[in-house]
Amino acid sequence: MDRIEVMLEPVRVFMRQLGDILPRLALAVLVIIIGWIFARMVRYAIAKGLRAANFNVVTERAGIDGFLRDGGVNADATDILAALFYWLVILASLVIGFNLLGLTYITDLLGRVVLFVPRLMVAMLILAFGAYFARFVANALTAYCRNVQIQDADLLGRLAQYALVTFVVLIALDQVGIGGDIVRQSFLIVLAGLVFALALAFGLGGKDWAADLLERWWPKKKP
Amino acid sequence: MSSVYSGDPIPSETSTPSREGEVDRAVWYKDAVIYQLHIKAFFDSNADGVGDFRGLTSKLDYIQDLGVNAVWLLPFYPSPLKDDGYDVSDYRNVHPQYGTRGDVRLFVREAHRRGLRVITELVVNHTSDQHPWFQAARRAPPGSPKRDYYVWSDSDQKYKGTRIIFTDTETSNWAWDPMAKQYYWHRFFTHQPDLNFDNPKVLRAVLRVMEFWAEMGVDGFRLDAIPYLVEREGTSNENLPETHAVLKQIRARIDARYANRLLLAEANQWPEDVRPYFGDGDECHMAFHFPLMPRMYMAIAQEDRHPLVEIMQQTPEIPDICQWAIFLRNHDELTLEMVTSKERDYMYRQYAADMQARINLGIRRRLAPLMENDPERIKLMNSLLLSMPGSPILYYGDEIGMGDNIYLGDRNGVRTPMQWSPDRNAGFSRADPQRLYLPPIMDAVYGYEALNVEAQARDPASLLNWTKRMLAVRKGSHAFGRGRLAFLHPGNRKVLAYLREYGEDAILCVANLSRSAQPLELDLKRFKGRVPVELLGRTAFPPIGDLPYLLTLPAYAFYWFRLATDAAPPEWHKQMIVPEEAPVLVLFDGWLSFFRDRVVPWRKGMAEKLRAQLENEVLPRFIEAQRWYAQKGEPVASAALADHAVWDVGGISWLLTFLQVKETTYFLPLALGWEEDEEHVRSLSAATVARVRQQANVGVLADAMADEAFCRHVVKAIGGSLALPMDKGTLRFTPTSAFAELAGDEVATLTPGTLNTQSTNTSVPLGDRLFLKCYRRLRPGINPELEMGRFLTETARFPNCVPLAGSIEYAAGSGEPATVGLLQAYVPNQGDAWSYTAAYLERFLEAPLKDEEHGAYLTLMQTLATRTAELHRALATPAGDPAFEPEPLTGQDVAQWKASVREEAAETFALIEKSPHEHAKPLLAQRERVAAMIDACAAPAKPALKTRHHGDYHLGQVLLVSNDFFIIDFEGEPSRPLAEARRKHSPLRDVAGMLRSFSYARGAALLRAESKDGSLDAWEAAARSAFLKAYFDAAAGSGLADSAADAQGLLRLFEIEKALYELRYELNNRPAWLHIPAQGLAALAESVKGD
Repeated sequence: MDRIEVMLEPVRVFMRQLGDILPRLALAVLVIIIGWIFARMVRYAIAKGLRAANFNVVTERAGIDGFLRDGGVNADATDILAALFYWLVILASLVIGFNLLGLTYITDLLGRVVLFVPRLMVAMLILAFGAYFARFVANALTAYCRNVQIQDADLLGRLAQYALVTFVVLIALDQVGIGGDIVRQSFLIVLAGLVFALALAFGLGGKDWAADLLERWWPKKKP
Repeated sequence: MSSVYSGDPIPSETSTPSREGEVDRAVWYKDAVIYQLHIKAFFDSNADGVGDFRGLTSKLDYIQDLGVNAVWLLPFYPSPLKDDGYDVSDYRNVHPQYGTRGDVRLFVREAHRRGLRVITELVVNHTSDQHPWFQAARRAPPGSPKRDYYVWSDSDQKYKGTRIIFTDTETSNWAWDPMAKQYYWHRFFTHQPDLNFDNPKVLRAVLRVMEFWAEMGVDGFRLDAIPYLVEREGTSNENLPETHAVLKQIRARIDARYANRLLLAEANQWPEDVRPYFGDGDECHMAFHFPLMPRMYMAIAQEDRHPLVEIMQQTPEIPDICQWAIFLRNHDELTLEMVTSKERDYMYRQYAADMQARINLGIRRRLAPLMENDPERIKLMNSLLLSMPGSPILYYGDEIGMGDNIYLGDRNGVRTPMQWSPDRNAGFSRADPQRLYLPPIMDAVYGYEALNVEAQARDPASLLNWTKRMLAVRKGSHAFGRGRLAFLHPGNRKVLAYLREYGEDAILCVANLSRSAQPLELDLKRFKGRVPVELLGRTAFPPIGDLPYLLTLPAYAFYWFRLATDAAPPEWHKQMIVPEEAPVLVLFDGWLSFFRDRVVPWRKGMAEKLRAQLENEVLPRFIEAQRWYAQKGEPVASAALADHAVWDVGGISWLLTFLQVKETTYFLPLALGWEEDEEHVRSLSAATVARVRQQANVGVLADAMADEAFCRHVVKAIGGSLALPMDKGTLRFTPTSAFAELAGDEVATLTPGTLNTQSTNTSVPLGDRLFLKCYRRLRPGINPELEMGRFLTETARFPNCVPLAGSIEYAAGSGEPATVGLLQAYVPNQGDAWSYTAAYLERFLEAPLKDEEHGAYLTLMQTLATRTAELHRALATPAGDPAFEPEPLTGQDVAQWKASVREEAAETFALIEKSPHEHAKPLLAQRERVAAMIDACAAPAKPALKTRHHGDYHLGQVLLVSNDFFIIDFEGEPSRPLAEARRKHSPLRDVAGMLRSFSYARGAALLRAESKDGSLDAWEAAARSAFLKAYFDAAAGSGLADSAADAQGLLRLFEIEKALYELRYELNNRPAWLHIPAQGLAALAESVKGD
């Protein structure tokens, strides 16, 4: 009899534990399913909302959509942003679900991922509006240069655009927190290199002019 | 010609007196053109060498035909003829040379019968010294009433301040009469003693004389030498108040006893001195404007408008019922009394270098020799005369440009016999040449053998026929006789420009006074929008706009324009300037600015506003003004973009739009042109929709059909079979197999010609190879023009239609595709047969003598009939295509057609009943007759075919190409659905359409010429029979129809159908043309009776 008791005890404990965990598991699965449905709704709503607000026009004009298309991505920036929201919701529901199950480590891990997604979104927005702004400035500059009849108006416009885009990309990267110091330092190197190159170019190109100028300001003593 | 005016001048027993008519009759002299002649010089009926009344009466038809409406006879009273009859010796009789009082009565009656008024001379200042009054006076004792008939004095020093008029022959105004032993007063020749109007008996006697002739029917009196009636010491004895008192009595008497009579004052004075002769409308009705005449000559000699403008500005206003009489030449010398002595010297040097040509203070020459026989100058002078304010007087012979003989003494040089023909004595008299009162002109230039009425009547370009045309034109407007005069002041002083305005009527006269071509710019802003219509040719000139109106005139040329509010501008005219008032659209993102979901988020509001502006303001205004807008006159509330595509070809882009206006969809491609490219903007400006601005750039938004690059890319797209996705549907460009051959390899360099927007389609030729046609209104279904064009080009290979190179079709959803445009081969042509026929008939009406038989025209129509038959044969070619396969015509078909025509008749008569046009109502009486006619149309007894046919065949649908014809426009009647145009029918419907078109050509030509000339009936009959004969000859053996006789019933049925359609069309659109189809129906009824 006792032996049966002893044999049954672990089963009983197991059953008890099972009885403990099953409702939580069911709840977690439910939360995740609801989260998944909600995520799809959010993705749909966000995509619709952004398109209704002509966000796609901004990214298209900014050249981001074209960039993505060229890279073989089938979706445009709006779709990606919507997808980010989708994953945000999915991840949030997973966090809740795992939390219910008491898997704190996984919850912790997921929590960090969840916090990363909004930064990704902000980076995307920065990229979209920044690139649009860069293109706008480039167009305005080109038009102005053309009006005042400066040659290479297109080139100047392009230069301005690329410089702005570089900044924007750096800001976005900074926002995401990728690269950190490396990005900052390489940016400084590039900037210093640029300044040095300019100084060299003007120094070499304007050597005679500078000499003439110096000559006029401080004439050498006549021998 | 006569029918135009015959109703007007003489009150006939039959005319119903209306208030306006009475007023018009009372002031008949305001619209008069007066023909001045000598009895003795006009025509001699009794071979005594002197013209007479019977001769004149026999020539009244000539005078009437000339287009004048009054005749002024120089004195014909018994007289010693020392002063050309102005020395009257018996006031109440006729000089025996000229006939009897009975002859005068007959003449007056005959003249009135022809609508001509008669004006005679009342020479009351003086008589002949042979007059019984003078003979009695010189014998009567001084102071007695009889002697008092004349002005006597014991001394020749009385009235010292009086000038002598005939300086060449007279030394004093006094002459000694040995019998009376006193001096008598004479202002003119010694043998013309002046009557004494201080003696009331003289005035009474004169009034009785006037009444005598007024009883005879004379309509007007020219009062000769009127300023000299009364004498007072210490004055110049001219224009005295006492003289005016006498005139008032004369006028009061004539007004009291007679209606519509005229007093015409001859007062050779300055305008301000002549003015009193009109009184307050209670002296003379008319007076001569003497100073104007020499100034017309002076202006043309100096090539400067100044003399004319100056004298007209000095001319005072006259009472409303009064009128000036103006002239170029008359029976006296060209008097230079009314010019300054400097001007006189100038005139002498210019016009009378030969001393023999001068007499007294003037020049004794006729108009033609003065103008050195230069027809242009003669015409210019006449045009001035006929358009200056006043009633013009034409001197006999000047209408044919007669010459003079300055060696004949006194002024007889301008009084030689009228030159009727090259026969003996110029056809004037059968007498021996020696017996003539004066020899006719016989020199090489002006002699009667070279220059006579008979020759000029036969020459359509002669001065005589020109004068007739001018007089006919002048009758067309009251503005010439009654209008106000206002000079315009173009910078070019060699050009005289003036306006004659009467009520709404405005006539612009422009004359080049110089011997070389002259340009001028006129400020006509006041008449902005009016269309100048040149009166002689009835040619419409481009409408008056904001800029100065530019004209160019050849040497000595003139134009008369009616500034019409009701005339259409010339068809080729384009408004070239961007309309100032065109709305401005502010773009911020090119074409995308119109689409709210294609702009950055913060500009959505702007895009919405812009789109609303485009759809609710800009496009509706543009569409309303387009010919292709179907509901003409109905305002467009909004034109919504039903579908669109931005067509980008790298660098350039167009917005292709389909616009929804109520139920109808229109196709409108739009192009942008920016200011930097001026050439581009100018070419677009003819089709401007709006002005646009994007930041600092200004430009226009226009119909892309006017854009060169667009047309070229359309051709390219057709060549490349492009399918352009639109927002909702697809625009498909498709070539035919003939494309490569037709387009050649120079598509990129084809230059588009001018855009034609004058029809429901817009078309533009591309180089001399292609022709792009754009349908504006979207009609779903297979477009028959495309279908027929394909069939005729690719299957039947019919050479006389325009080959098809490609098409543009629009397909949306699952619906049938609609044709938007066609690309065809360009056929260089001489215009369509309608314009050719219209021009032919216009020429024919003007000069009907030349080609009575219409030979050349009928040959053309035979060619047309042959081509028509060939088209029908081509369409009847069995080719396996069910849409084109010919079918046998059955009796059932005919019965069905008859039923539908009957229905149309009912519909038409119902429309007439409802219509507000009263002049359409008499047509209702035809209802029964038309029904009977339809019933009477017999079906063909022999086999015939039902095939596809043209459907809207008329003269406007065939192009004339070097004496051959190309058939165009297979769309069917525009108001019927496309499916109806595609059904199979008897090809005779086309034949009937063409026959009706002949009838229309006749009606339109008569309307244009404002004539009722019957000679066009013969033309129409000839054209019909030539066309029918050639058609059935060419159609023989094809099985289309057996013979003309067999097809007659069907043909008539289709003619009735067409005429009914025309009736409905005219009722709705042009009620003034209703009579043309109405006459057509009547003629059909006649022909039924004839069978």
